[in-house]
Amino acid sequence: MNNLTTNCPICDGEINLPPDLEESEIITCDECKNRVVVSSIAGSKVILEEAPEIEEDWGE
Amino acid sequence: MRIALIHSTIRGDEKLLIKAAKKRKIELVPVDIRKKILNPDTWKDKFDVVIERCISTTFGSHAVSFFESIGIPVINSMKVARVCEDKFATSLSLKRLKIPTVPFALVFTEEQAAKAIQQLGGYPVVLKPAKGSWGRLLAKINDRDALEAVLEQKMVLGTPPHKAFYIQKYVEKNGRDIRVTTVGNKVICAIYRVSTHWITNTSRGAKALRCKVDKELEKISVSASKAVGGGVLGIDVFETEDGYVVNEVNHTTEFKNVQAVTGVDVASVILSYCKEVSKHA
Repeated sequence: MNNLTTNCPICDGEINLPPDLEESEIITCDECKNRVVVSSIAGSKVILEEAPEIEEDWGE
Repeated sequence: MRIALIHSTIRGDEKLLIKAAKKRKIELVPVDIRKKILNPDTWKDKFDVVIERCISTTFGSHAVSFFESIGIPVINSMKVARVCEDKFATSLSLKRLKIPTVPFALVFTEEQAAKAIQQLGGYPVVLKPAKGSWGRLLAKINDRDALEAVLEQKMVLGTPPHKAFYIQKYVEKNGRDIRVTTVGNKVICAIYRVSTHWITNTSRGAKALRCKVDKELEKISVSASKAVGGGVLGIDVFETEDGYVVNEVNHTTEFKNVQAVTGVDVASVILSYCKEVSKHA
């Protein structure tokens, strides 16, 4: 992927997507600073959703 | 070799593994465990090795049980996961083999907590959830008043796992600790985690700096790795006047900061280790 952009599912702001984006990756919206998760990638179509809250058992 | 990268979200660490696999032309398949059915009668996908990298300890723990049960070697193994996901079990494993570790006790009531703290040499102590990570829900308890307040909160508001009180003696670490990365009982590299706060997790803002591994650090890290069953580990070590002591051992260790600071390609080392594990399966 090169210079792809999509819209934030929370604030609708434009998000620049990194070229090595992976499904299930959590990224941060540049505009609203909310965390969003990559739900699916199909070619140049990237679906983002609101990221889950950090759970108590998350970590190393 | 076909490797499954089991995850429940992709962090920078998993991206490094994906990138390293691409570079080395290794087939690494990211598998979001939340989208799978762990039924041994219906599971079809064949893998030579599984790397368990779930951000959720609960999901990771079940995934490890599943893949080992259907005969696929997992990094890290169920034995390692069971010991490392529980700080009390880790401390007991280290203690059993006389590996220097932070003095600890586990109790279930405030009365016993007060007595245990006297046994540990008095205040301050650190109260931690036996199962937890990223420095969350840690409490430095400086006196009896603080102990009573924190334990009451846990007894009233906490879920049952929070009503087992894992207590460690507070160790003055002068603003830093050491994270040693080991793979297959070998030390790969180490970083200092530097912070003005007593909690020195990088996830809590500590700065990562390169740390040179001396013979004593290597020795205690290898011993700690062997004590919990080996695999890919992040071993947290304190420097004290009496020498190094092991604080914790992490079995889903995050290494992106380690790799960035040391320049060591930890991801590639892990992939090489996968090959070794699959050969001996």
